[in-house]
Amino acid sequence: MLLGAAGQIRENHRRLSELDSFGGDGDHGTTMLRAMENLEKSVASSRGGQMKQLLSETAWAVMGTDGGATGPLFGSFFMGMSNGAGQEERMDCVALASMFEAALECVRKRTKAEAGDKTIMDAMIPAVEQARLAADDGFGICGILERAAEAARRGADSTKDLQPRLGRAKNAAEQSLGHEDPGAVSVSLIFKGFLKGALEDGG
Amino acid sequence: MAMKKFLNDPDNLVDELLSGFALAHADKVKLTESNLVVRAKAKARDKVALVTLGGSGHEPALSGYVGEGMLDISVPGEIFAAPGPPKLIEALRMAERPAGVLLIVLNHDGDVMSANMAMEMAQQEGLNVKQILTHEDISTGPRDKPEQRRGLVGCLAVIKVAGAAAEQGASLDECLEIADRMERNMATLAVAVTSATHPCTGEAISEIPQADMIIGMGQHGESGSAQSKLKTADETAEIMLDMLVEDLSIKKGDDVLLMINGVGSTTLMEQYVVLNSCKKILDSRKINMVRCAAGEFLTVQEMGGFQMFMARMDDELIKLWDAACKCPCMAI
Repeated sequence: MLLGAAGQIRENHRRLSELDSFGGDGDHGTTMLRAMENLEKSVASSRGGQMKQLLSETAWAVMGTDGGATGPLFGSFFMGMSNGAGQEERMDCVALASMFEAALECVRKRTKAEAGDKTIMDAMIPAVEQARLAADDGFGICGILERAAEAARRGADSTKDLQPRLGRAKNAAEQSLGHEDPGAVSVSLIFKGFLKGALEDGG
Repeated sequence: MAMKKFLNDPDNLVDELLSGFALAHADKVKLTESNLVVRAKAKARDKVALVTLGGSGHEPALSGYVGEGMLDISVPGEIFAAPGPPKLIEALRMAERPAGVLLIVLNHDGDVMSANMAMEMAQQEGLNVKQILTHEDISTGPRDKPEQRRGLVGCLAVIKVAGAAAEQGASLDECLEIADRMERNMATLAVAVTSATHPCTGEAISEIPQADMIIGMGQHGESGSAQSKLKTADETAEIMLDMLVEDLSIKKGDDVLLMINGVGSTTLMEQYVVLNSCKKILDSRKINMVRCAAGEFLTVQEMGGFQMFMARMDDELIKLWDAACKCPCMAI
């Protein structure tokens, strides 16, 4: 799943940087790519075993990306997933939804952004909500991820019409109108990657 | 137009930049294994240490101010992007001492996020660290909403006076008080005339029409607030001084420090011309420019324009500003 996320970012990092150039300094894709390379390294050096530990190592690696807010925000997301994970080696459906909720909570500690502010939250909040609903409806891992990924994609799409209120982008509010928030697109790519990864693993 | 910069692989840019920097100033600084910039000769451990963090690409900021009388450690990030919390907590652990550590943070989201996370960890570990946030860009928010104001070149003044106080043996609380007093009495406004190129992407970080200038443009090319046709040095200085004086409520007879910070391709010649304009205007208003400086203190690649910094000074702040310092890019 983690490697699936990295794959999606790698395929799309140029587009992420281009989106960032409308309100930021055009390096979001490069930074995300570096963050995912750090993630891949931490997965490769992990000796299997507990998911909780793996996620915590991954979070630390992503946080260590010297890329402004990107490292702490996405690092917090993985750290939250780790906090929400139990001690078991494989995850079940209910645990997955709880992990995403813990991830969102961890990110909320780092930013005041709410839905509608044209940030990662516009993709993350609906994705986590849909994951919970899907888990409660009894979906399997792939079903949960499918609904979460779809919600994240819609959320990222919706940022096109939004005006930024926070972060560096708020200073270029008009230029970014009509373009998605790159951070929100990254979130949607990560969920899409989770889904792809889970499908390849056979769920 | 394609980017014209002398670079190698962008992935190695920050490493190469820091190695070169350490070579050029080997008598004053050295580089640790994880790319922290530290003093060549460490400060006595009974004195407060100063640590800061910030993106690269703004040379000589911030590592150029590591040295006697100013910083102890600078934690450089990637180009225009703050370092992550792991590197910062490493620096805080390294700086840890009974006298305490003052962490200076420029108000940009990434820097603040890394700093907050590292501060939480430092507290858990029982490290004696206090934080000062610099936010003095008057174009992004009113004075009563400092959280909206970005940190521009004013960090240099805060580092200078707090660093001098630390060198003289002031306690952590005293250093923090000095830093805070400087911070509350300073304001900066930027003007841009040409864009910078992001050295990794090769793309312009902002668009500025050929004949225009933009007042309020940030140091990452974030768009500014007031766009107009290019004006003379006198006219530009007057517009910007007016805004700074109003923001700081500077009155006749007040003592001020004024800095003109060239951000990349605006020549030193122009900086002197603007400084001279400022002096004329301040004289006519009976405001005392007791100290001043012009130069490239915090740049944005080859961006054209400058940041105008003003601070209300008292006798103690002036004394600390005048105190000796020996850093790679600042010596008094």
